[in-house]
Amino acid sequence: MKSKAKIQKAPVGKRIIKFWPLYVMLIPCVVYYILICYVPIAGNVLAFKDYSFRKGIWGSDWVGLRYFKTFFTSYDCFRLIKNTLTVGLIKCILEFPFAIILALMLNEVRNMKFKKISQTITYLPHFLSSVIIVTMIQRILAPNNGMLNQVIAALGGKGDTFFLMEASYFYPILFLMDLWRNIGWDSIIYLAAIAGVDTALYEAAEMDGCGKLGRMWHITLPGIRGTIGLLFIMGIGGLLSSGFEQIYLLRTPGNMELADTLDVYVVRVGLQGGQFGYASAIGLIQGIVGLIIVITANKICKKMTEVSLW
Amino acid sequence: MKKKVLKRMFSVLLAGSMMATVLTGCGSDDGNTTSGDAQQSAQNESSAQPSSDDAAGAGDESQGEAGQSDEWIADREIVLHAYVDDIYNALPDDQVNNPVFKEIKERTGIQLKITFTPGESNSKTLAAQLAAGTIPDAIVCYLNNSARPEFPLLYKAAKDGLFADISEYIPNSKVYSKYMEDGYLPNDTYKNIVFREDFDGAVYLLHLGIDEVDRSLIYDPTEAYIGGPYIQKSIIDALNIDPTSVRTSEDFYNLLVKIKEGDFKDDNGNDVIPLGPKYWGGSVDAMDFDFRGLIWGVSDDYNMDENGEIYHVAETDHVYELIDYVRKLLNEGLMHQEYFTMDETRAEELYRSHSCAIIGDVHNYVDIIYESEDWIPLGPLNDLQGDNKTVTSGKSGRGCLAISADAENPEEIFRFFDWLSTYEGQLLTQYGIEGLTYNMVDGKPVLTDEALEHLNASDEKWMWNEVGAAFGGSGVYLFEFITTNKNNIDNFGEVRPGATGSSTFQRSVDLATQYPREYKLVEGLGATSYLNTEDMADVKAQLDLLNFNDVLVQAIFAKDDAEVKTIIESFRAQLKSAGVDKFKEKLKAIYQEDPKAISFYR
Repeated sequence: MKSKAKIQKAPVGKRIIKFWPLYVMLIPCVVYYILICYVPIAGNVLAFKDYSFRKGIWGSDWVGLRYFKTFFTSYDCFRLIKNTLTVGLIKCILEFPFAIILALMLNEVRNMKFKKISQTITYLPHFLSSVIIVTMIQRILAPNNGMLNQVIAALGGKGDTFFLMEASYFYPILFLMDLWRNIGWDSIIYLAAIAGVDTALYEAAEMDGCGKLGRMWHITLPGIRGTIGLLFIMGIGGLLSSGFEQIYLLRTPGNMELADTLDVYVVRVGLQGGQFGYASAIGLIQGIVGLIIVITANKICKKMTEVSLW
Repeated sequence: MKKKVLKRMFSVLLAGSMMATVLTGCGSDDGNTTSGDAQQSAQNESSAQPSSDDAAGAGDESQGEAGQSDEWIADREIVLHAYVDDIYNALPDDQVNNPVFKEIKERTGIQLKITFTPGESNSKTLAAQLAAGTIPDAIVCYLNNSARPEFPLLYKAAKDGLFADISEYIPNSKVYSKYMEDGYLPNDTYKNIVFREDFDGAVYLLHLGIDEVDRSLIYDPTEAYIGGPYIQKSIIDALNIDPTSVRTSEDFYNLLVKIKEGDFKDDNGNDVIPLGPKYWGGSVDAMDFDFRGLIWGVSDDYNMDENGEIYHVAETDHVYELIDYVRKLLNEGLMHQEYFTMDETRAEELYRSHSCAIIGDVHNYVDIIYESEDWIPLGPLNDLQGDNKTVTSGKSGRGCLAISADAENPEEIFRFFDWLSTYEGQLLTQYGIEGLTYNMVDGKPVLTDEALEHLNASDEKWMWNEVGAAFGGSGVYLFEFITTNKNNIDNFGEVRPGATGSSTFQRSVDLATQYPREYKLVEGLGATSYLNTEDMADVKAQLDLLNFNDVLVQAIFAKDDAEVKTIIESFRAQLKSAGVDKFKEKLKAIYQEDPKAISFYR
């Protein structure tokens, strides 16, 4: 204890010399974050510039808030924001409890072999690319000869529904697809948190006559409350980032009224249309709104549950 | 103590390797690749490109002999980045020791090195790399006219000074000097791409694939592409209908009904669907052939009505005629529901198993057509003028070449690409090496029996690696794409190498002979070409965000007529909001000044 305090009191230089191997190991991480996460932030300046291929980001002429004005006065603006928020809510809020439920269920499984197989099966889809998943979905949901339509036809239905062309099926398809893909992976962190809950508490509860559901409710869930809160706050920051790949691949003319989100729009106008400044402005709006949401959610969470990021 | 030292050494090594990994990831690759599948890219480049040492070695060998030749340009390497996947898919494994590449090096001193970056689409990769400002000596991309999505990017790059001004080299060049002759270039190429007024006399973009002689109105079955719908021969025979008699939308509908009533089965015993998507996957493009009489917006969705007013088709009732017709076909089960959206693989499976009676759009040089007797052309259907002639706008180009402003000695690069389009350049890059793949007979090249055998067997690997010539596009596609001033008939006595002795495409030629087409000339540019000017920048930015094709399909799949109306009305409002009226005013002024300037017809 005494030596720990001594080390903490030692000058930074001395500490670095003493623990230099650890600091050397830290360098790649620091370099990574600086180069990949922080340096590109400076590129946001493109949102205020008329980008010239030749002059580059810094040499291009300033255009002030022109792109922001264009976006907020455009015909599509509010539809895009509404669609993005809806997809964000589905992914961040609606899907959120399912990974916790799966983790709680897996925690109760006593047969380790079955538990491991179930875990592997549930998190495997996380490693499949969106292209493969959407191609599978397109084939399963294809009109006429798709598997689902063939089942419907075999059960006496018409079996000719073009699910991907009907806007009303877009959100359910997206929800189920994203849930299937991420539920197993997301549950791993909760399983790790559950493993950290003091087992003596379960024994005590059991002696007091508490059933399985009761232990789950009164011990496990409060035990992982901090993890749930942290992941919720971090997840909610992505409310305005609906993700590009899945939406873009699932997008058909029939559902495009709902599937046109800010992420898809940024790629469409930025990369395909070459309007880099305009696309950067929209990306910046997403980033700023995401930051505001995270700060707000963190404050609310801190006030209500004493769990917070900072 | 020893253990501690070992531990520390291990930590340092681990940290060092992690650091190296991070820095390697952040490093550049001579600007050749900036995105996409890095591993694949690395493989492509390592297998397809020479090492600089090899290139230098080859140069040393050839310099002495070739230094005096008229064809000699310089002992150097030229790196050409292709935004054309067809070029990348048909390159030799070894670009240094390949016979044609070697011969080019010996004659001109130039070691050509082709690079390519895989990506989701050629135009997106082009956009990303132009934005990064890192291009090698020269780039080449698709560009059949100035209305293609690549053009605004190329235009911006040219205006921003990313490309070299080659105007001073053109007048003294062997081939490209022809671009300055009156009437040689198509109007769009001349005015909008090569000699743009707003470039102030500079030339940054070279349109490629221009024919020396305009044969666009001459029908030649040996080279004619017969595009549009194709029908299963067994079905049309069973129905006892002459496929060329199907001319109007009504005829087409009646045919589809008869097919449905005929209860035909595919290879798996399932019902045949009368009309299927385009062979290359679902798209609205096929509507131009299958519902031709109902397509009013003939000039990029715009046209002029009988009162001389210009409209986008969505602003007229013609759009409802088309939507109602397609909805009727869908509701009656006469066309495949995925006509607009099916992916390419599934579309091909559909036709391999004969699951649709009619392919929405394909042509006679696709293997499914020329490798069997199963499919024959249908129609063609009449257009809104009431005839079924194929519309041509005259001569046109295919690709675009631009030289980097940062390239070392751009004149040498220009001279090299100019040389490739000369008679000598074309003979070498199309036919290969004399004595090896062809012999001169009466002044014309004739492929050797061995070459013809490989060509007929579609032995691409042999054409790429053992020869390296284009063979009319069957071999190294780069050389088919990168040249201009083409005139195979006069220069080489045949439309493409081996055409006179080739059996592979015999059925393609037979079909073109049996089902001849007539052409009609509609001069002028697509209406949207006139959006690429400074005064239209704001309107273009807004109109580019609208996708009429998507809206059209959305309306076709609407649940009722009221929803169709809502969708179309909404699109009309978006057009107005984007400034379509300003654009139409401009089009009207252009048309009044020169009625041949825009490709309107009715």
